[in-house]
Amino acid sequence: MAKKGGKGVYLAALILFLGGLGYLIYSGISQDSVYFLNVSEALAMDESALGQARLFGKVAPQNIQPKAGGLGVSFDLNDQKNAAQTIRVIYSGAVPDTFKEGVEVIVEGIFVNGNKEFKATSLITKCPSKYEKKNREG
Amino acid sequence: MHFFANLMLLIALLAALGAGAYACLALLTGKRNVLVLIDRANISIAGFVSFASIVMTIALVNRNYSFKYVYEYVDNTLPIFYTLTAFWAGADGSLLFWMLSIAVMGVVFTRLNLFNEFSEKTRLYYWLFYMVIQAFFLLILTCWSNPFMELVPTPLDGRGLNPLLRNPGMIFHPPLLFLGYAGFTSPAVLALASYVSGELKSWVSFCRNWNIAAWIFLTAGIILGCWWSYMELGWGGYWAWDPVENASLIPWLSASAFMHTAIIQTKRNALQRSNVFLMSLTLLLCVFATYLVRSGVVQSLHAYGENGVGLPLLTFMLFTIALICIVLVVGPKVEGNTLSCLNSRQGLLVITAWVFLGLGLVVGLGTMWPVISKTWSASPVGLDARFYNRVCLPLFSLIILMFTACPWFDWKEGIRERRGLMLVGGSFLGGGIISYACGLHNPVALITSAASIASLVSIFALFVFMPQLRRVTSSIGTYGLHLGVALVFLGVAWSGPNKIEQEFIVKPGASIQLGSYTMNFKKMVEGQTPEMAKISAIVEVTENGKPVGLLSPERRIYRNFQQPFAEVSVIPSLGSEIYATLLSVDEQGNATFKMSINPLINWIWIGGTLMCLFGFVAFRKPRLS
Repeated sequence: MAKKGGKGVYLAALILFLGGLGYLIYSGISQDSVYFLNVSEALAMDESALGQARLFGKVAPQNIQPKAGGLGVSFDLNDQKNAAQTIRVIYSGAVPDTFKEGVEVIVEGIFVNGNKEFKATSLITKCPSKYEKKNREG
Repeated sequence: MHFFANLMLLIALLAALGAGAYACLALLTGKRNVLVLIDRANISIAGFVSFASIVMTIALVNRNYSFKYVYEYVDNTLPIFYTLTAFWAGADGSLLFWMLSIAVMGVVFTRLNLFNEFSEKTRLYYWLFYMVIQAFFLLILTCWSNPFMELVPTPLDGRGLNPLLRNPGMIFHPPLLFLGYAGFTSPAVLALASYVSGELKSWVSFCRNWNIAAWIFLTAGIILGCWWSYMELGWGGYWAWDPVENASLIPWLSASAFMHTAIIQTKRNALQRSNVFLMSLTLLLCVFATYLVRSGVVQSLHAYGENGVGLPLLTFMLFTIALICIVLVVGPKVEGNTLSCLNSRQGLLVITAWVFLGLGLVVGLGTMWPVISKTWSASPVGLDARFYNRVCLPLFSLIILMFTACPWFDWKEGIRERRGLMLVGGSFLGGGIISYACGLHNPVALITSAASIASLVSIFALFVFMPQLRRVTSSIGTYGLHLGVALVFLGVAWSGPNKIEQEFIVKPGASIQLGSYTMNFKKMVEGQTPEMAKISAIVEVTENGKPVGLLSPERRIYRNFQQPFAEVSVIPSLGSEIYATLLSVDEQGNATFKMSINPLINWIWIGGTLMCLFGFVAFRKPRLS
C-alpha cells in the first residue's frame, strides 16, 4: 500500500536521476561531438571552425596512391552529389577490402592545410549491405 | 506466379481493411457477434501472405530469375541453405518476412487459451488496431517495396548473395529481429485495446510469456548481429554504435524497461497506464528502427537503399503516436494500488525501468543528433562511439548494480536479507580489487566488472540463502537470465579497454610478438572452390615456447564479386582469444595482418546465449487476474 510521502520520494529520485543523466549527456555532447560533413559542406565551412570531423564521400577514380611498402592510402574524396568538390585524404592504417574507386567511404580525422587535406585516422567503406544494390556495380 | 503472388497480397490488404472497418462499425453501432467473421478474415490474411511467401520460397529454390528479387540475391553456385535464407536478404523480402511473422503470430496469439476471456469490446478494439497495422504493412508490400517484381527477359544467372551475408550469424540475425518486432505487435495492440475498453482482465499477465519470447528473439538477433560483425567483418569489434545497430537496441531497451514495470503490475496491481505506454512505445520503436534503417534520415556505415518507404513509415509512426496519446487520455482511469516506498523491490524495479528508458533516450538522441543539431547548426554535428561509451557504460553498470541488490529487498519495504546485501557489497569491492590487480584500470570498466562479479556472487548466494527459490522454475529462469547479463557485461568491460591490437607486415618464415604471444608466419596456401578462390596464411602461435594453436586467416574472391573479402581466424579461449585478419598479400608473398588479443570476449556470446535460454525457463502458466 502507499506510504506517506512515497510520491515525494519518487519525484526526488526522478529529479536526481534526470539531473545525473542530463549531466552525463551534456558532458558527452560537449566533449565527443564532431562534425558529420559531406565534402561540399566541409569545403564551404570556415577553416577556423574545422577540427575533428567525420567525412562522407565517394572515392575519386584518379590519384589513388597506396602507400609504398606499408599500410595506408592517399586518395581524392569526391562529394557524393557533386564530383567537382574534392578533398585529398591521407590515411595510414589498414585499407579495407572493399575500398576502390567509386565506393562510398566514411573517414574520421582532422583537417590539415586549411580544408583542402584531411588526415584520416579511420577509413570505413560503407557496408555493401544486404539492402544495397548499387555498391556492387560501383 | 508473379501475378498470383501480388494478387494474394492485394486480397490480404483488402481483407485487412474490410475486417478493420467491420470491427470499427461493430464498435460504433454496438453490433455484436462479428468476432467470428473477423477471426476468419484474420486467418485468411495469414493464409494469403503465407501463399505469397511460399511462391517466393519456390522461386528461390528453383532459382527463378524472372523474379527480380531472386535475380538480385541468388546465383547458380549459391548453396541451397543460403538460397533459402535469401528470402530475408533484401529490403523487400525482409518486409515480407516481417508481415508473414505478424500474420502468423496474430493467428497463434488469438488461439491462446484465455484470449477469449477478454471482453468482446476489448477484442473488437484489438482487431481494429491489429488490422490497421496489417493493412499498413500490406500497403507497403504492394506499393513501395514489392518483392514480386518481374524481370524481362529472364537472365540465365543471378547476381548472387553478398559474401558478407554468407555466414550463419548474419542469416539468423535479421529474421530473429523481425520475429522480435512482430512479436511485440499483439501485446501492444491488446494493451491499447484493454485500456481503451476499461478491461478488467490483466493483459500483462496474459502476455507475459509471449513478451518474454519476443524479447528473447530480439535479444538473440542483437547478440547474433554482434557475433557476425566480430567474426565476418574483420575489424575485431562487435558493436560500433552505428545508427543501424542502435536501431534495434532502442526497442530492446524499452521492452526491457516494460518487463520490469510489468512485474509491479502483476504483483502489486500498480502502474497500469505506464505499462500500456511502455508496451505501445516498444512497438512504435520497432517501426522507428525500420525507419532509421530504411529512410536514410541519418548517415550510416551501412549503405541501405532508399526505396521510398521512409515517408509511409514516418506517417505511420505519427499516426501511432496520436493513437497512443488518444487511448491514454480517453481511456477510463483504472484504480490501482500506488507504489510502496523507494526502499523496496518495487522502488528498485521502477528505477531500473528509468535507467533502461534513460539509456534508450541516450541512444536515440545520439543517433538522431545529426538531424537534431541541424536545427541550430548549418553543418550537422554527430556523436561518435566515445559519447556512447562515456554515457551508456555507467548506466549499464547502474542496471547491474540494481539487479544485484534488488532480490535482497522486500516487496513492500525494507531489506529482506541483510547477509545478502553485505555479501553483495563485499563482492563488489573484492571484484573491483581483483579486476584491478588483473590489469583492468579503466575506471568505468572497473566498476562494470566489479558490478558483474558482485551480481554473479549475489545470484549464487540467493539460491543458497533462499532454498525455496530452487523449486520455482520461473525464478531459476529469471535469475539465470540475469546471470547471462552479468557475463555479457563482464566480457564487455574486459574486451573493450584491455584489447591489444596491432597491424603487421610479415615475410614468410618471420615472427612477430603480440602481448605475450609469438606469431610465426609459416606460409601461404592457395585453394579454389566453385564459389570462390582463396589464399590462406598459416600462422603458428606460441606462448613462452609452448604451442597455443594455428591461425589461418584467408582472403577470398567470390564469383560475381570483384573485391576480395577477408575471412578471420581465431584461437578461441575463455580467457584471451587470439584474432587474426589477413589484410593483404603482396607479390613477394609478404602478408599484412591485423591481429588482436581479446580478453574474455567469448563470455559475451556465452552470456547472450544464457540470456535467451533461461528466458524460456522463466515462462509461467498465465493467469488473467
